[in-house]
Amino acid sequence: MRSVGAVVWLGIYHDIAWTSPVAGIILLSVAPTASAMTTSIIYWLGASHAGSFESSKLAYVLVGAVLYAHIAAYAYAPTLAIAEGKNLSIFQHVYISPKSSELYLAGRTIASFLISFGTSMIALILAGLVLSHLLHTTIPLIENPESVLLLVAALFLNVPAALGLGYLLGSYSLFASKFEWALPSYVAGILMVFSGALFPPSILPWPLSAFGNALPFTQFISAARDAIIFGSISSYISALEYSFVVGVVLLGASLLIYRASAKKARSEGVIDRRLA
Amino acid sequence: MRFELRPWIRTMKARALVRILSQFGEPLWIVVNVGFPIFSSVALALLYESTGLSGYTGFAILGGIMISFWGNVLWSMASQFNWDKQEGLFEIYLTSPCSITAILIGMSVGGIVGTAPSAVVVAIVGWLFFHPAVVASSWVAVVLTFSLTLASLYCMGMLLSSLYLAYGRAAESLNNALQEPVSMLSGVYFPSIGQLSPFPFGIQVAASLIPLTLGMDALRRTLFFSQGLSSVSIELIALAVMAIILLVASSAALKALENKGRREGTISVRIR
Repeated sequence: MRSVGAVVWLGIYHDIAWTSPVAGIILLSVAPTASAMTTSIIYWLGASHAGSFESSKLAYVLVGAVLYAHIAAYAYAPTLAIAEGKNLSIFQHVYISPKSSELYLAGRTIASFLISFGTSMIALILAGLVLSHLLHTTIPLIENPESVLLLVAALFLNVPAALGLGYLLGSYSLFASKFEWALPSYVAGILMVFSGALFPPSILPWPLSAFGNALPFTQFISAARDAIIFGSISSYISALEYSFVVGVVLLGASLLIYRASAKKARSEGVIDRRLA
Repeated sequence: MRFELRPWIRTMKARALVRILSQFGEPLWIVVNVGFPIFSSVALALLYESTGLSGYTGFAILGGIMISFWGNVLWSMASQFNWDKQEGLFEIYLTSPCSITAILIGMSVGGIVGTAPSAVVVAIVGWLFFHPAVVASSWVAVVLTFSLTLASLYCMGMLLSSLYLAYGRAAESLNNALQEPVSMLSGVYFPSIGQLSPFPFGIQVAASLIPLTLGMDALRRTLFFSQGLSSVSIELIALAVMAIILLVASSAALKALENKGRREGTISVRIR
């Protein structure tokens, strides 16, 4: 626990303490806020002109846009830790230290989750306020302690799935020395299309819709919407249950893959390789 | 130093060639660059479709094409001198007889040629999946608008490269922070100025100071609303003026930074 705690502190320091913490948080909140506003405005523009505008659907897009960016932001942490660590000769030292690199990556992911948790909440509130004013509408979000608590619980219960995805991407990053920098855009892009962030996966053709619905992230976003838009507790519990269970399975499988990859990477001598 | 055309062109060509060869020598870079524009285009086109307004899917595809270039400007123009400084290349640029402006323009030309394959892939995939209704009445207007938008955008990248040089390590975080808000304000995926814009007049005026805003607006009008050269002439003039001003400003900013760096002895300081 002490090792993970130390890495969490290191991760927070790495991500926001290069400037003043307030400036760091503001800079990290700008992108998800603007991204959520962009997608919400696209919905507003399209739906207003098609005569199908509904404020609950605007809330649907806003919440989905904030949450897919949140998952993408911290699921990428292990890849960044490995890629940057290899370039700066830090990862080799982590690897030969008495604690495992899995703990290091878990700590960095948790740090990234905590920061992204804060920036996502800022983005949700700020984008919601600005959009209500800009688009002259009310965004029907349920704002009471219970719904906020349910949202926070959903965010925490999604950590195993995101960490699992992080280990999977990290397994690849051990061997890569170029393409890993493109992974965040691919992860964000895949989530944008398949996780039901902006539209229900059912509009995708089969089997893509089935793939989208099977993702734990899709069910997490759905549970979050149930908590703060629809207020449907039974639907919230079933979606979150699925997301958590599949997330734990994904985490277990990803850890095994990561360990096998690290062993192979060591035998091939690529752990300290910087350029392909 | 007296201006000589031949070394200037050779410098520009040499810098452009490095970019082009590195891009086309490693096709994986196309896969790297195409990820974000392609997924965001598809997702946002599907979002337009899900609202029942499939006629606007072209906005998302065009946005994906232009975001490839905007990403290239931010990550391969604005940040480049800062990275060159960390690698020890920047001091070599300054001590060589080469013109810095020629190096910057070479970087831009190389960047445009290198990004073109990604933009083409986005256009082809977008067209195949969504068949956006393109109703251009004047392809001359489209090509001219596109060229002037890229010219002014890359000139903005040149100016940013000198600013980022001054910011040092903060450059990467600034890039991450700038990319999305500028995309939103400049209306990469939806009209941010004009009748369809959700923004108040003041914000539309401020957004118009970004070359991408005027370029995107003019491109959408020429491609999807069949407007001709005369309808977008003001935007074209504004883009050309912006390109010239930004080019001159970037050259002056780099000169000022060079002088300051010499005085303070920070030109070769790697990490700040």
